[in-house]
Amino acid sequence: MALLEIKDLHASVADKPILKGINLTIKPGEVHAIMGPNGSGKSTLSNVLAGNEAYTKTGGQVLFDGIDIDDLAAHERARAGMFLAFQYPVEIAGISNMYFLKAAVNAVREYQGKDQLDAMDFLDLIEEKKKVVKIRDDLLERAVNSGFSGGEKKRNEIFQMAMLEPKLGILDETDSGLDIDALRIVSDGVNALRSPDRGFLVITHYQRLLDYIVPDHVHVLVHGQIVKSGGKELALELENEGYNTWVDEKGA
Amino acid sequence: MDLKDLRKKAEVDFKTNGFPTTKEELWRFTDVSRVAGAEFSNDWKISDLEFQPLDKITVVFENGKLSREKSNFEDLPTGVCIGSVLDLVDPRIGTLADAQSAFVAANTAYFGDGAFIEVTEGVEMDTPIHLVYLADVDGAAFHMRNFISAGKGAAVTVIEEYIGLAGATYWTNVVTEAFVADGGLVDHYKVQRESESAYHFQTLEANLGTGSVFSNHAVTLGGALGRNDIRGKLIGEEGEAICNGLYLLKDKQLFDTHIFMDHAVPKCNSHELYKGILDDKARAVFCGRILVQKDAQETDAIQSNGNLLLSRGAKVNTLPQLEIYADDVKCTHGATIGEMDDVALYYLQTRGIDPVQGHAMLTFAFANEVLDEVKCKPAKRYIEELVHDWLHKVAK
Ligand SMILES: Nc1ncnc2c1ncn2[C@@H]1O[C@H](COP(=O)(O)OP(=O)(O)OP(=O)(O)O)[C@@H](O)[C@H]1O
Ligand SMILES: [Mg+2]
Repeated sequence: MALLEIKDLHASVADKPILKGINLTIKPGEVHAIMGPNGSGKSTLSNVLAGNEAYTKTGGQVLFDGIDIDDLAAHERARAGMFLAFQYPVEIAGISNMYFLKAAVNAVREYQGKDQLDAMDFLDLIEEKKKVVKIRDDLLERAVNSGFSGGEKKRNEIFQMAMLEPKLGILDETDSGLDIDALRIVSDGVNALRSPDRGFLVITHYQRLLDYIVPDHVHVLVHGQIVKSGGKELALELENEGYNTWVDEKGA
Repeated sequence: MDLKDLRKKAEVDFKTNGFPTTKEELWRFTDVSRVAGAEFSNDWKISDLEFQPLDKITVVFENGKLSREKSNFEDLPTGVCIGSVLDLVDPRIGTLADAQSAFVAANTAYFGDGAFIEVTEGVEMDTPIHLVYLADVDGAAFHMRNFISAGKGAAVTVIEEYIGLAGATYWTNVVTEAFVADGGLVDHYKVQRESESAYHFQTLEANLGTGSVFSNHAVTLGGALGRNDIRGKLIGEEGEAICNGLYLLKDKQLFDTHIFMDHAVPKCNSHELYKGILDDKARAVFCGRILVQKDAQETDAIQSNGNLLLSRGAKVNTLPQLEIYADDVKCTHGATIGEMDDVALYYLQTRGIDPVQGHAMLTFAFANEVLDEVKCKPAKRYIEELVHDWLHKVAK
């Protein structure tokens, strides 16, 4: 069974149609990359998948792990194993990263019928995951993303993903804002999480990330539609030629 | 004037002038005609209400009268005196509270009891003194008068807690005068959890000597209509006044906070951090006046008031008032009125946290900034518990 099956998905934001018939299937173990010009609808797609109510799905169907996502609110999708690493992670004053992570991990565990982690077990899990994605202790103590640098926020997203061990990780431009070393650490983290039953949807503008996280498939999203799909070599092609072919055709 | 004469004069004043109306600037947003128009009795009974002692020392007033039976303040360290304001005397009683205020006048005229706390020079009292006011006589008025004095270099923590019977309508009218001598410290808390139908008014006045610290945390949950008038008088250099508060209001509660920080001398600090969370049709008024007198150079005054509205019917009037007559001062103020942050709620949701829990986490986080400042551990734990319970009740 496919992990994610998107069939003829249409969606709009503020009554403006953005996604105009997306078809995409991700099988367990696969990494799919989406590239495309600014404003083409990449973040819209990730938000529609994650269940952001500011976005309206106007047509088509999305099955996540065989379940129609229309039946699931955002937190239920997360508990079912979907994870969105935000392009712009949200700052939350007054809630420490640790407290937040514990609430999240325990919410997911409750759904999975597992025991709640107590303070000791939780700290052990933090230590274990710090080996996957290095993160400074002070960032864990501080309020969620509050005053974090751009790169620190992105790293925090991937750390959260490591903690929550989702089935599907959607990475929306996680590479933007990362310095070269951080890019390496974050990519290594993602690669460590790759497994035969886990899939990834990696949104990026740059070939560079795909050198580290090597995709099985690359899709080009333009004006809310996937205009081309191919193997990892497609990313290189785009790097050289840009999106002119499609953008000009549409007269944008 | 001795206290007896003061009380006579106050009674005349109160009878002549009566209650303030919304035509008066200081009462513009708070209509007290419900209190003015009501008849209150002096009925008394043993209280059936329970309370949770926060530490070893408790002074309990049941329906306006000290209960030695329910209290516990026997074994006090030398230099610490606790008792009823009716039994113990100090010439300073009545000299600080603003005689212009109708509520102060009524209190001075009619007070029936209250706490007297005196910690003499150099004595640092570790155990907090928990004052508990139980009210479960419907239709009664309770005029309570508290006196707190910390001598030179003395330190004391006082927690005033007001508890009322659900559904009972009564009027609590408190005046607390605190004198903090040079180098002294008074860490004062007020937890107001009166009945949702009660009227609660307090005037809290503090006099701060050189290098002294007065800190107040006012947590308000109860009352149909209420107000805290808090005045800090900085009369010695390098004094520090901290006035923080949290009001959690729902239904048709109206709660008003008026703070007046009077910087009379140089090099004093005053910090005010107030947060409010309002649901349903609740209303809050926050008026923070900071006066920096001509001589009060190098004053550092900060004031902030943040409000979170959980419903469209809730309303806040927030009015900072800075009056600065010195030139070398640092004064900042800020006020915000906002709604629940949907983007933050969504972010929590994408991590598996359901909207009800997310809502509670975000509202608690909003209040937490004030709780962070609470130094007294038992008070902090207790207030946190009350805030959690309240948030649980309003969770949609
Ligand atoms: N809340 C909104 N209101 C109005 N328009 C919106 C809103 N959110 C997104 N859009 C519009 O939808 C279009 C798609 O935006 P989206 O964020 O999905 O693009 P993207 O492909 O992720 O771009 P980028 O590469 O710059 O991140 C853009 O034209 C954007 O302005
Ligand atoms: Mg985007």
